Amino acid sequence: MNLRAFACGITSIFVSAIAHGAPTEADIEQSFFPYKSYQPSFDGLAPGTTISAGNVDQFKAILDPAMYDYVKKGWYEFPVTETTSFDLHPNYIKATKDNLGNVALGESIGQISGFVAGRPFVEEPQMDDPRAGEKLAWNYKYGYNWGDNAAIYPFYWKYRNLESGNLERTLKFNFHFLNYKGRVNDPNGEASIPPEDLFRGIYVQVLEPFDVKNTQLLIQRKVDDLERDNAWLYLGFQRRVRRLATGQVTDAFLGSDLMIEDFEGYNGRISDMNWTYKGTQEVLLPFYDHDKVQLTDANPDDPEDDGYKFVDFGGQGGCFPQISWQLRKAYVLESDPVDENHPISKRVHYIDAQTFTIPRTNIYDRKGDLWKTFIIGQARPESHLEKNHDSGVSIDDSFSMTDVQAGHCTTGQFKGQVDPELNPTSLFTPQNMRATGR
Amino acid sequence: MKIKGSVFALTVLAGGVVAGAAPSTFADDTDWSGFLETAQHYRDEVGLSKSRWLGQLEGLKFVGDVGLFSNVSINGVVRASYDFVYDFNDDEYGNNAGGQAFVNSLGLANIGAPTSIPVNGPGIGPAGGLGVGSWAVVNILGPRVEEITGAPAGAISGLLANNTFIDNYTNNPNEGMITLGDHLRPHGAGVAFGVPVRPCDFDNRGCLNDYLDFTKKQLAAPEIYSDRMDWLRELYIDATLLGKGDNEINFRLGKQQVIWGRTDLFRVLDIINPVDYSRNNIYDELEDTRIPMWMLKTDFRFGPTGVFDDLNAQVVWNFDEFRPSNLGQCGSPNAILDAGCFFRGMKNLWDNGGTVANFAPFDPADPSLGLLATNFGPNTIGIRDVHLPNWSLSNTQLGLKLEGVYGDLGWSVNAMTYRSQLPSLRAGAVEVINPFVGGPAQTWDHLIAFDMYFPRVNMVGGSLDYYSQSLDTVWRVEAAYTEGEEFANTIREELYSESDVFRFVVGADKNIFIRPLNETRAFLLSAQIFGQHLMDYERQDATLGEIGMPDWETNFIGTFLIKGWWMSDRLSPQIITAYDFRAGAFVIEPSVDWLITDNWQMVVKANVKSGGGDKSFDDCRLCNPFGPFTTSIPALPEHGADGLTSGSAGLTGFEPLGRFQSGPIGMAEREDEIQLIIRYRW
Repeated sequence: MNLRAFACGITSIFVSAIAHGAPTEADIEQSFFPYKSYQPSFDGLAPGTTISAGNVDQFKAILDPAMYDYVKKGWYEFPVTETTSFDLHPNYIKATKDNLGNVALGESIGQISGFVAGRPFVEEPQMDDPRAGEKLAWNYKYGYNWGDNAAIYPFYWKYRNLESGNLERTLKFNFHFLNYKGRVNDPNGEASIPPEDLFRGIYVQVLEPFDVKNTQLLIQRKVDDLERDNAWLYLGFQRRVRRLATGQVTDAFLGSDLMIEDFEGYNGRISDMNWTYKGTQEVLLPFYDHDKVQLTDANPDDPEDDGYKFVDFGGQGGCFPQISWQLRKAYVLESDPVDENHPISKRVHYIDAQTFTIPRTNIYDRKGDLWKTFIIGQARPESHLEKNHDSGVSIDDSFSMTDVQAGHCTTGQFKGQVDPELNPTSLFTPQNMRATGR
Repeated sequence: MKIKGSVFALTVLAGGVVAGAAPSTFADDTDWSGFLETAQHYRDEVGLSKSRWLGQLEGLKFVGDVGLFSNVSINGVVRASYDFVYDFNDDEYGNNAGGQAFVNSLGLANIGAPTSIPVNGPGIGPAGGLGVGSWAVVNILGPRVEEITGAPAGAISGLLANNTFIDNYTNNPNEGMITLGDHLRPHGAGVAFGVPVRPCDFDNRGCLNDYLDFTKKQLAAPEIYSDRMDWLRELYIDATLLGKGDNEINFRLGKQQVIWGRTDLFRVLDIINPVDYSRNNIYDELEDTRIPMWMLKTDFRFGPTGVFDDLNAQVVWNFDEFRPSNLGQCGSPNAILDAGCFFRGMKNLWDNGGTVANFAPFDPADPSLGLLATNFGPNTIGIRDVHLPNWSLSNTQLGLKLEGVYGDLGWSVNAMTYRSQLPSLRAGAVEVINPFVGGPAQTWDHLIAFDMYFPRVNMVGGSLDYYSQSLDTVWRVEAAYTEGEEFANTIREELYSESDVFRFVVGADKNIFIRPLNETRAFLLSAQIFGQHLMDYERQDATLGEIGMPDWETNFIGTFLIKGWWMSDRLSPQIITAYDFRAGAFVIEPSVDWLITDNWQMVVKANVKSGGGDKSFDDCRLCNPFGPFTTSIPALPEHGADGLTSGSAGLTGFEPLGRFQSGPIGMAEREDEIQLIIRYRW
């Protein structure tokens, strides 16, 4: 590990924060381009190294505990590539600059003021800041995760037995995302994207298998974090749009190993959790070039017309993405539920410091034992579909949620497309579900 | 409008689209899917009640942008099935169904004769058709006739000349029959009659022309042998016309289902398509039982507008030839409310005459001696004709809906003018010869001789849904107010009257974790209460009981669903219950749905009912249409001092009007089943 460089980087940020007391453009530069000033390294680790059971002890310090355990058991091995910068879109960075210093937390958790667009809190988190974790959570929520809009089109989920590798179920979706607020690439500004009280829309179509075919799900997330989502479900066999109760975000989604709250790393309200910043760490995270990892047809009987191939899975039970990983700067963020009846005791997120995506999360049950682990593979847009080039989006490209207690996993294979034409605002209405439902 | 016309309309639209311009994009993207399914039902005390094999093919062709239209697609569904129950259990439901029907003639007990007699047997002795079962009973056409007519003693001797009661039924033998309602409970002192039950190609007695007149092939393979091309379940074209901003107009033209409303099971607003209740009474998904119609549905989408987060308008024009709901033909396993049997029996009575239980008094001067079964001749009582609306522009049906979202509240306002999909029986306009004395045919008040109509109904209504964050519960409300619906009414001379009706459903959905049962997946709990109130309700006391509308003035039905999921949602047990408060009828339907693989699915169900099948109401036996012959000596108060006034005195029985109080749950009380469904889908 190049401790000196890392320490230098961290120190400069710390000094910057202390010296200025308020976020600066230097903070922005450091936040969005952390690898300009140094290249993470670790003794014995070189591009091309494969982390496996045979050498995992050597790299224990740069693996989260669950991943170390998986590799140690021989469930998974993966190659490491050099750390590459996943530059977010210049307009997102510009919006951050334009609104620098205008954002403040409210009195209680879940409240924020002054946010328009961009990353709300660019300064490095401080261990002595009791609300540092909350700020990181806001940075994630208002992150450039899928840009102003995107579609995962299609999106394959596979339910597998971790022990036997038996493929139990395959679901095929289309997912669509649209940000109503915090848009940075809309030439007409936000006014063209009403309604006022919504922050984000998520629209899901289920294409396969037959029992859930033609199901549609619409989630409208409110600007006010204290309000719950509005959600509607269209069931093909009922041909009717039903409003959904959204309180049970800890429900397993369509029988998968994911709670609704797990989506994208965390998919709940900021106010539903207590957030604790646990430190900054260099850790191996699943960042890669899509065109340089092992790919396959998600459904060999129905390959993509354009020849697109999905990330392949292997390892124990076929639960692990066959991708490469990078040593990256991450914020370790712990969230524990406000609700005492919540089924988990905490999540430990490894937030990528540059993109504010959540590529790794470990989830602990109410007793404190490891329950599930979540990998979200991030692909560099320039290695992905041509339409994604220069999108400034770290492309969610593969996921694996492994339930170590149940011996089960759900894997996800994405065809992410940052394409406004796939996500018109008219798609994100209950009426669209009625009009297009079959 | 016949199918040919409907296809023409679809072709015109498709042609118009194509003629508008060459496709700017033409995606060669066709999606085919389908399934094969078998459903096996076993009914308590009956045996096999369904052995259906069904195949369905679904095609979706994305055309793309065509001229002014975008997102053009064509959707089609073809379905065919064969139900072997008419072969495997043909002595219940097929060509060998039924047998001899028996009805009660309790007055025969006065002479020590058996009180259960076969229907449509010859009258015995001088009383002819009125002395069914014993020549010793000569009642009103015998010694009492002078008293009844007021003639001097000795002026009339014996039977009245020219009466139309008959002694034999060459066209209506007592075979292939059941006794109306006796599968549910004995008719006791009430009325009943024999009902033919065999398929209409084998026995056409009582078959209602173009309504409930199915042959065995049509019962077993309803899609293939349908008169309305039911094998083509759906065929419609979708197209979108883009406007400014978020505005767009979506068109769907063709044979389709259009669903309104936000609630399950109850059709308060979901009234556009008729329903095939013959499939599995009220217990199949409406998706499978709605009868698709040729319609044009146009959605005007305005997007976020003014105070609304989303605003839309819809116009539905049902230009298909009218089609009523299929209530199930008598002799098939599912006849909701047992209405098909009542109709068939009544149609047979009109066409061929027949024996009616406990009808004429043993002695008009002493009602305590009971009643005698009576042999009516043809064209006296029953259902004469079915008036199905023909296709005409004025008989088409039109619906309007305005729907939107306001904050956490979803809402709609609906209006529709349509034809009732349920029949109404209208009396008072059927010309009948006085069966006692003959003479020219004329209309009679309070005579149970009907024509069947499907009246026009106008409906206004609306719906709401709301998510209560504090309760984490979704509330759903539907309400509708109709005018033009017709109900049986024994007060009225026509034996029916109109009533405005207010209906509503309030539903609540909540997901709850029951951790001891399932750590990771919440259970869905859904409860609904359905209410119906007849605004122009008529009910009053008469000498022997209540008369008027048999329906409840106000009634409620509650439903409750609990559903859970295990094994990655591949195993899903659920329990649905419903309770009809006024009928006291309860049904519970536990089921387990197992997705064996992504292609194979198995569902095991039970359907168990309790209570409600024993409701009785005024049956109009003492409506005195043919006064003074049909009243007592002396005349009942309702019939005037001279006995010439018609009007019901309120004599009650289970049949025929108790069914409106029992409701669909109570009337199927003896139809407990276990069901197995296996489906392979690709």
